[in-house]
Amino acid sequence: MTVQNVESMPGPAAAPAIELVNAARWYGNVVAVNDVSFALGPGVTGLLGPNGAGKTTLLHMLAGFLAPSAGTVHVLGRSPHRDPSVYRQIGLVPEREAVYPFLTGFEYVRFNARLQGMADADAASRRAISLVGLDDAADRAIGTYSKGMRQRAKVAGALVHDPQVLLLDEPFNGMDPRQRLAMMDLLGQMAEAGRTILFSSHILEEVERIGTEILVMVSGRLAASGDFRAIRALMTDRPHTIKIRSSDDRRLATALMADPAVFAVELKDGSLAVQTAHLSTFRRLIAGASRAAGVRLVEVVSADESLESVFDYLVRR
Amino acid sequence: MNTVAAVRDIAGVTLRQLLGRRRTVLLVLLSVVPILLAAAFRAAGETDIQRFTRIVFDGLYVAILLPLVAVLFGTGAFGAEIEDGTIVYLLAKPIPRAAVVIAKALSAAGVAIVLTVASAGLAGVIELLPAGPDGQAATLGYIAAMAVGSVCYATLFLALSLFTRRALVIGIGYMLVWEGGLSSLLPGIANLSIRQYSLGVADAFIQLHKDPARLTPGTAMTLAVILVVVAMVVASWRLMRFELPGSSD
Repeated sequence: MTVQNVESMPGPAAAPAIELVNAARWYGNVVAVNDVSFALGPGVTGLLGPNGAGKTTLLHMLAGFLAPSAGTVHVLGRSPHRDPSVYRQIGLVPEREAVYPFLTGFEYVRFNARLQGMADADAASRRAISLVGLDDAADRAIGTYSKGMRQRAKVAGALVHDPQVLLLDEPFNGMDPRQRLAMMDLLGQMAEAGRTILFSSHILEEVERIGTEILVMVSGRLAASGDFRAIRALMTDRPHTIKIRSSDDRRLATALMADPAVFAVELKDGSLAVQTAHLSTFRRLIAGASRAAGVRLVEVVSADESLESVFDYLVRR
Repeated sequence: MNTVAAVRDIAGVTLRQLLGRRRTVLLVLLSVVPILLAAAFRAAGETDIQRFTRIVFDGLYVAILLPLVAVLFGTGAFGAEIEDGTIVYLLAKPIPRAAVVIAKALSAAGVAIVLTVASAGLAGVIELLPAGPDGQAATLGYIAAMAVGSVCYATLFLALSLFTRRALVIGIGYMLVWEGGLSSLLPGIANLSIRQYSLGVADAFIQLHKDPARLTPGTAMTLAVILVVVAMVVASWRLMRFELPGSSD
């Protein structure tokens, strides 16, 4: 597995909010995170990978709960390990569900606000609870919450002090689609306000919807990083399927088959499915080929541009 | 950050955590047993306070109830949060680790003190106070022993719970094997026995037993203070280096 650095990767001119340099973490003989390097600035970044890929270990290193076995981990220019003061600027949503079940949602968020030393913890808590849409349940014990509500309470507790960096481990677990969209919007707004947000997920649609930038971890290594479409385009040795609708699919198919960049063409369901190993070459080719064949293009879309296909490919490599 | 406010908030949550557990109800029920025994002694017209203190205070309170209650609360203060992962909400805050340890220790020791002192005090009121000045002094002595013992056991095993998930088992082993068995066979162990610290402190009020191996009140108190301070420092040190378990993903 090789790390693929994409030039479009967020690389702020100023010091990055999050920076890992050859960071590794192992437990005895088990390597959980292996030689990972990346830097993140403001924006939303998805940390994608299957269970056991090392996502939680990586987030725990960023949150200062684990020291790197090798390399360096910096958040806002300092090592978060053994430095509690860094938590003024970090908000963390852990993966584990447990939240003090005897506290109400409001009490829990206020507990977080008070431990952050906020002057008006009550007002900040009410604001955070509103942001995650828990107003109606704020006075109920968390023990009575659904999984999705607990997740939202955790998010409210993590952002109540308006942190510069927000680390979220599987934050959408248990949320219904409406809640997910609302949470995604919220994270997007925070990113627009200059916050650096890193969230992990093993659900591809979540990452695809919210994070144009992704880090893909497989078996403890950073398999890829950058814009997920750019990562996809870099994988030139993997077939891309392009779906085309045109004024004459059959004639266009004949024209395309003559080019070595195309290795399969299929007429199916009223459209043309073209397989190419060179996406950028094909993009140049299609315009000229259609013009030469006198065919009008109606639609050209990448049929497998979803994160699912990117991820499948990375995992199989 | 106002550290005092943080200690108060964490202690408040810890208290609710500790008191909400089923084992607390069992401990409360257990603490009623010696009170009933004192009532039985009283009903039977027993006037030998030495015999009563040996059976009820030394045998039940100091040997069983005090260590059991304090070890359970001490190990539970951090143990439950480590177990369910809520410890992360304390660790991810800009507060000194010593403040977290102090809050936890105050909660655990506080609950243990309330339970053991209330129970021992009530038992003393029932059987010892009517016996005159000696009975009153003995009651005060054992109340002091409960308080000192609660703090010592709770802080020691609170610190241990940050090193191992088996702190409770070790605590019960310490109570039964070290203090219950070895310390009676090897008098030198008294210096490393919280039970002996507790009894030594009780002796400041009245000497009911003429045991030459018993620590003097001054020595007992000094060793108790050293134990608590060392346990708190070690717990703070450990919490600063604490790594979250279950981070294998």
